[in-house]
Amino acid sequence: MNTTGSTNTSTNPRPDPIRIDRHHDCDVLIIGSGAGGATTAATLAEAGHDVLVVEEGSWVPQGSVTPFSLEQMDRQYRSGGVTVALGLPSIAYTEGRCAGGGTEVNSGLYRRPPGDTLRRWRQEYGIVDFDDDAIGSICDEVESALSVQKVPGAQTAASDILRRGADALGWQYDESPRWMTYPEGGAATEGRRQSMTETYLPRAIAAGARVLTEHRLDHLVMHDNRALRAELTSTADGERPVTISFRDVIVCGGAIQTPAMLQRSGLRHRIGRTLAVHPTVKLAARFDSAVNTPGDVAVIQVKEFAPEISFGGSASHPGLVALALTDNWRDFGHAVTAWPELVIYYAAITSQGRGWVQAVPGFRDPVVTYRLTRRDRDLLGQGLARLALVMLEAGALEIYPSFRGAPLVRSRSDLAALSASFGATKASVMTVHLCSTAPMGEDRRRCATDSFGKVHDTENVYVNDAALLPDAPGVNPQASVMAIAIRNARRFADSKAG
Amino acid sequence: MSRPAAFTSPVGRFADSLLARDLPALDDARRAEVVDFIERRTGSLPSVTKLGVVIISRAVDLIRRVGGTERMLDVATGLSLPLLSEYPRLVRSLGYTFVWETWPHTTPDGGQP
Repeated sequence: MNTTGSTNTSTNPRPDPIRIDRHHDCDVLIIGSGAGGATTAATLAEAGHDVLVVEEGSWVPQGSVTPFSLEQMDRQYRSGGVTVALGLPSIAYTEGRCAGGGTEVNSGLYRRPPGDTLRRWRQEYGIVDFDDDAIGSICDEVESALSVQKVPGAQTAASDILRRGADALGWQYDESPRWMTYPEGGAATEGRRQSMTETYLPRAIAAGARVLTEHRLDHLVMHDNRALRAELTSTADGERPVTISFRDVIVCGGAIQTPAMLQRSGLRHRIGRTLAVHPTVKLAARFDSAVNTPGDVAVIQVKEFAPEISFGGSASHPGLVALALTDNWRDFGHAVTAWPELVIYYAAITSQGRGWVQAVPGFRDPVVTYRLTRRDRDLLGQGLARLALVMLEAGALEIYPSFRGAPLVRSRSDLAALSASFGATKASVMTVHLCSTAPMGEDRRRCATDSFGKVHDTENVYVNDAALLPDAPGVNPQASVMAIAIRNARRFADSKAG
Repeated sequence: MSRPAAFTSPVGRFADSLLARDLPALDDARRAEVVDFIERRTGSLPSVTKLGVVIISRAVDLIRRVGGTERMLDVATGLSLPLLSEYPRLVRSLGYTFVWETWPHTTPDGGQP
């Protein structure tokens, strides 16, 4: 079998290495192996195409690193997880950089794209053959392939807290299913993540696809409207140039890397101009007993104000608890020793702001910027105050909001001070949901690709990842990414067969 | 209070001084380990962010040489300018995360219980 790399602790046997050459040939080159790239690779390989997948990061088997740890950030995140969209405030974001991409490192929470979102995308962006039922049918397949399900047994205390707080307020909430397998009746902490290295990548490999890890795409060499070859750098054993010839290339590097790669290749129309994210602000809440489960996150999400504002749980190991307290260490630092009694929660919003991704000559990484609107800033403040209310109703003793100058919240009477002192520019704003940097559709004034991901004015360059989503869907986006990627890959296979 | 000469990079010298002031009970060996981590992480930042950190860290290092460590820390941590104030925030974020992930029972001043 067919990838570079080493052994694994996964139940999926790791494929054997392929020979590392200076040149490779394939019919279809897929850049990136995350939610978009892996599903595309499996779909096309199973349809009989000669597929080569290139991945910048390493193949890190599930179970070989501690979830949400610094070691995981070193091995599976771009730049050790320290990446930022510049702005006022700057927004910290993370990108997976490993075989399987973000699916290997995120919480595995799964939400189908809402029907009204799909209809809006279809109408506003002129996406053809974009049928709700067809997307729903692909979601059915994805959910089966990834074993998407709710926790069969006991949930974590962090989930119970959200449920308790929402119940007390009469607010809507639900459990987000995850791509996890569990032993019969298993608890939340017993789940095994069904990421791309456990599912679609092995399927692709079994169907003949090759996976080349630790190779970074520098650019595509274009002639007129055709991409002729890819020029890469192998990082496995020093910096070594590699070229790949292909018939078609499908770029699936995620919403930051995909536009940067296309721009470096001279493709710019509507590319990298409309970055959309779900900005989040956080707080740490302390309870009267041990509630922290360092290796897992809450699966309950409070949806009373969705899609504008949603609440959920974040990873809360001791290092991240310290991080949440950092902005007010003098006043909040004392709580760090009580980290077993603390959990971190977030308020996420749908943003009307937009950002840019811009490749800069002479620099390997793009510049990323994001501008929150006034409405976004207000919504973040409202979200944080309402999240604090949920925590109080759930029985929190003390709440530590993550922004400079935040007051300690112990009762409802402190919430006014929280709202009054909040400023988005003082907050640690973060996001893990990035999309929309090469939106799809027939409206060329707004879209970088056609309705199936083919870059406008090119003959053989496609995008098939989160960059295609016309905007941030208001829910965890990876189900949308996978469903649309499979839809597009099938269309691609049909067009080549026909 | 700190050992600025022990680190060759401006980021390392700044991180060492900042942690020595923030977490005075963190022993020298641990602080050196934390600073080493911060240097590695800032060394792998995306290109343009890294350039920004290099420029700011050199400016802050110049203040240290001219005005001394305490003066430098006062200026650097008192900055309220957008982006510039992100520098001490970045260093603290990396440092504190490392300390409590590596030694979770560390006290708020950096000491061992």
